[in-house]
Amino acid sequence: MTVLPGGGNEKKELWIVGKRVPRVDGRERVTGKAIYPADLNLPGMVHAKILRSPHAHARIRRIDTSRATALKGVVAVVTAADFVDLPIGATVTMGDAGYDVWVVAHTNMARETVHWVGQPVAAVAAVDVHTAEAALKLIEVEYEPLPPVVDLAEAMAPDAPVLHSNVVTKGVEPAPRSPSNVCSRTVIERGDTAAAIERATAIGEAHARIDTAHQGYLEPQVVVAQVDPNGFATVWASTQGQFTAELMLARILGLPQSKIRVVPLEVGGAFGGKIALHGEAAAVRLAEKCGQPVKLVLTREEVLQGGSGPAAGALIDIRVGADREGQLTAIEGTYRVDAGGLPGMSPSLIMQASAALYQCPNLKLEGYDVVTNKPRTEAYRGPGGIQAAFAMEQALDVLCQRLDLDPLEFRKRNAAVTGSLMPIGTPFPTIGLTTILEEVGQHPCWTDPLPAGKHPRGRGLALGYWRGTSMTSAAHITIAGDGRPMVTMGPVDISGTRTAMAQVVAEEFGLSVEDVHVSTGDSKSAGYSDIAAGSRVARTTTAALVEASADALRQLRMRAAEKLQASPEDLDYAGGVFRTRKPGGAAISLAELMQATLGEGAIVGRGVSTRLPLGVEIGAHVCDVEVDPGTGQTTVLRYTAFQDVGCALNPPAIEGQMQGSVAQGLGWALTEGFDYAPDGRLRNASLLDYRIPTALDVPPIDCVLIETPVPGVPYGVRGVGEVPIVPVAGAVANAVARAIGVRVWHMPMTPERVLRAIRGGVLD
Amino acid sequence: MQEFGYERPDCIEAAVGLMREGDTRALAGGTDLIPQMREGRRSVGRIVDLKHVPDLIAVFELPGGGLSIGAAASATIIARHARIAADYPAIAASVRLIGSVQVQSRASLGGNVCNAAPSADGVPALICHRARARIAGPDGAREVELEELFTGPGRTTLAPGEILTAIVLPPVLPRSAAHYLRFTPRREMDIAIAGSGVWIRLDEQGAIAEARIALASVGPTPIRAETAERKLVGERPSRALLEEAGRLAAGDARPISDTRGSADYRRSLVSVLTARALAQCCRSIGVEVDAP
Amino acid sequence: MKALIRCTVNDEEHVVLADPRDSLLELLRDRLGLTGTKEGCSNGNCGTCTVLVDGAPVNACLMLAAEAQGHEVVTVESLSEGTKLHPIQQALVEYGGTQCGFCTPGIVMSAKALLDANPRPTEDEIRHAIAGNLCRCTGYDKIVAAIAAVAATEGE
Repeated sequence: MTVLPGGGNEKKELWIVGKRVPRVDGRERVTGKAIYPADLNLPGMVHAKILRSPHAHARIRRIDTSRATALKGVVAVVTAADFVDLPIGATVTMGDAGYDVWVVAHTNMARETVHWVGQPVAAVAAVDVHTAEAALKLIEVEYEPLPPVVDLAEAMAPDAPVLHSNVVTKGVEPAPRSPSNVCSRTVIERGDTAAAIERATAIGEAHARIDTAHQGYLEPQVVVAQVDPNGFATVWASTQGQFTAELMLARILGLPQSKIRVVPLEVGGAFGGKIALHGEAAAVRLAEKCGQPVKLVLTREEVLQGGSGPAAGALIDIRVGADREGQLTAIEGTYRVDAGGLPGMSPSLIMQASAALYQCPNLKLEGYDVVTNKPRTEAYRGPGGIQAAFAMEQALDVLCQRLDLDPLEFRKRNAAVTGSLMPIGTPFPTIGLTTILEEVGQHPCWTDPLPAGKHPRGRGLALGYWRGTSMTSAAHITIAGDGRPMVTMGPVDISGTRTAMAQVVAEEFGLSVEDVHVSTGDSKSAGYSDIAAGSRVARTTTAALVEASADALRQLRMRAAEKLQASPEDLDYAGGVFRTRKPGGAAISLAELMQATLGEGAIVGRGVSTRLPLGVEIGAHVCDVEVDPGTGQTTVLRYTAFQDVGCALNPPAIEGQMQGSVAQGLGWALTEGFDYAPDGRLRNASLLDYRIPTALDVPPIDCVLIETPVPGVPYGVRGVGEVPIVPVAGAVANAVARAIGVRVWHMPMTPERVLRAIRGGVLD
Repeated sequence: MQEFGYERPDCIEAAVGLMREGDTRALAGGTDLIPQMREGRRSVGRIVDLKHVPDLIAVFELPGGGLSIGAAASATIIARHARIAADYPAIAASVRLIGSVQVQSRASLGGNVCNAAPSADGVPALICHRARARIAGPDGAREVELEELFTGPGRTTLAPGEILTAIVLPPVLPRSAAHYLRFTPRREMDIAIAGSGVWIRLDEQGAIAEARIALASVGPTPIRAETAERKLVGERPSRALLEEAGRLAAGDARPISDTRGSADYRRSLVSVLTARALAQCCRSIGVEVDAP
Repeated sequence: MKALIRCTVNDEEHVVLADPRDSLLELLRDRLGLTGTKEGCSNGNCGTCTVLVDGAPVNACLMLAAEAQGHEVVTVESLSEGTKLHPIQQALVEYGGTQCGFCTPGIVMSAKALLDANPRPTEDEIRHAIAGNLCRCTGYDKIVAAIAAVAATEGE
């Protein structure tokens, strides 16, 4: 395989980058030896449980923990009073905007008011779980129930009960005087959209309602915390970011950062749901109070019933207009996003994700961040992307049907290209959407006729866009006594990072993957790195490691030059050996070099990546479905995902990301949705009734990888992990609509909803 | 979880003796009982593990051609039993729908019956086959029609101290077949939103001589669709007849709306599942009927 | 009241003091330190804690520790010998059938139960055998391919 290396000038044959390499940490996983926090047991360890609110909206009048404290076996009890009362708007470092730690503090422990069922109000540590559970029953909490607002549209009504008296809608002129559940209004606009809609030959519209869903990681949140007699806290966690966790813990606990070490153990799935804290702060404070290590294990019911943040539901209304030739002339969208009980779900990314891939002169997108009495929502793989595409890709499909245009042809006519304007007005960096669409058009998944079946069938196409982010990553390489590079990186591995980074360092050193050892450091042993999220880790850590490898090799070259009595620039380096350039010249391997010079001091190569160019992600998905008109059940028969990955560092890892994303997307598209009762209690808080797809519900998923390198990024690596979930629900919805002739606007498109749509809304 | 005692008797008499104390619950596979206890949905002071009573986990052939299935025999054992697979395929197939492969290794048909969930996948095919329940108690043994056991969700007519010991199946009749269909949004690992078990026997002329239809998840207990059954008897199978029977069965259903589905949707499912299950029975007897 | 439970785990006889409330999963993880078996839901709905009891795959969370009395339990720890992996484990590594790894020990055990009973399963039989094991990372493709590859070589 040939790709453009960093800088984009010179072509270079790659040795190990791009090869199909099995995970370097696969053996630990298949043998059960990989250590997740639940597997960690420390001497003298006690067990914590969290008392959670049974109300969706209530004022806390009084908490009396005295009976629980007195129970034999209970060693510590905490409530909100044990944590810092942070000011509204408090943030910790993350990217350009920071991360709202006030919100995280309230997911740690409710203060004065509870805003969802399952929000923590107290925590207990005891000698065993049974005692901790018994102690929870002895904590007396006096609640003053307040009217809950569970439905998104109802929460926006002018007379709705208000969740937060301090929230006044931002982005509205003049500023409103009274508080509201609408936290902010965001507008992206260009041209004259109303006039363009008026003039359009045809209009396509979408009125999508998307239920709240959950990331569904298999490992519930678990933390083990220990505080030593000097007050130094060590926290073993399942987290997407040990440094961000440390920053948040320091603020919420009122401790200096230098007194906290967060050790990221293996993460049993995260998908955005393990960025915030879900009991870590409580565990540390309990450990501090009792002087013993504390383990907190969330149950699956806690994870689903308010103990962790699900992904945002939304109401999205879109109108798109085109002229006679099928040229897109207008996009008009309203995006109402359900943030759950605390503000902060910016609709901006959803808005961009929905409109970015089409060149359109007139655009008006309007988004609202709305609070409801449901769990505070958190990120989920390309947050907002799948919701956005479910609406937009259907609106475009409706438009194609009205214009009698082939949906692929329509997209080819209107596709964004390098340099065309993104919704926010800046030009697109290098993208390969045109190539993707060409590939789709030639692939059997598109050219094969749809085979007839017992029930109606349809084929759907949808595109997906995700912007991703870069932020900062650090890594350092020490050279072992046998000359092998030992890598410590800051970013947590949630997607096979260790393997891909071993390939990068092996490539840079001309060694094999087996020669390289890669681990993630804790928050005291690695350099500051942002969270593993936003499709940024492989790109930025590659950049950091290219730099760290060069740094280490430069130091090694100096030493080799000394040993070989040559000048450094007269040495060639290849395959772990420095060689003087003259014929028959002397050579020294890294192993020999290190054995000879260990006493001269450590070789440490350092690399830091900041502000790397974005690795914009684009994909196109095609799927065939069959819909049973008797039951409304949708069966996905065939699924093909195309994606521009820039440079596939490790193709099977990328296929795995794509296939996993598609399976998650199919789940939300068809069976996964939170069902809230009017009182705010989640009715399907189990993995029985919250239906994650099984192996029988997911078809084989074909992956087509396309490589359009990103200039200015080593190897041209693009983000890969998020966009493959974005088009899924849109592709399935378009296929379903073409099978049954009607649209199902409510996601998930459960069998009942599909059957109702087929029968015109009435079942009898 | 509250504390409880655990007993493992090795004969029926001992088991019955242990069941006398209030707050005692029999344990077979435990796949319903254990989560119920863990979640605090069922309070139990003592459990009596029936799996060490040999008679309770065995499948016997009865004189005259029937079968007796030990109440604590696992779904896997039942599904793999040669006689059950050959003569009562609807029962073998329906226990294969319970939970997952892992759950089937433990779950028993007796537990499926005694847990008395209206959604129990194992039950409609038993009712279709006119299964009887053999019960042991402090006053000795008794036998009743299995379908008479159910009184409501989670409730049966078993008296305190009684245990279900076996499910007794009468011999199969010529020109008869049974089939159970249920609907779940996922292919497995799911609970029936609605289910329909049907059994028919054709006479020599090809008309339906007898019909039994038992529905799951559409009432407080598994229920019979008697209007639909009456409609079928005396008629020759046709698509129109099966569809009509489906519609009548939907009318016999008494569903509620909950997180798994609305009452209307459940009725719609009963209609289509019943017609399709009837068509499958006809096919098994050798009569091709088109199904909706 | 805690009681002594005698059972065989991975070919070794154990006598363990357990609370009647303990599940087999707790017995394995907390009393015997066999943490390879993971806890995903404790309700029998995810298959993460799959182990073999007398050769049959079961959810260890759905069995009381007391019920293990006299039975043979096999966990993921017994499949590999030192650094030598069981063919199923080897295939999962080679085919990319493990990502976050949390469901993997359960998948390994379900696959073993399948191949022990049916050395040449069809793709549908493989998918059926692991339908009780939720995986959120892989979309199942590479898991199915790995098991099929083992069947193709071992089943000959």
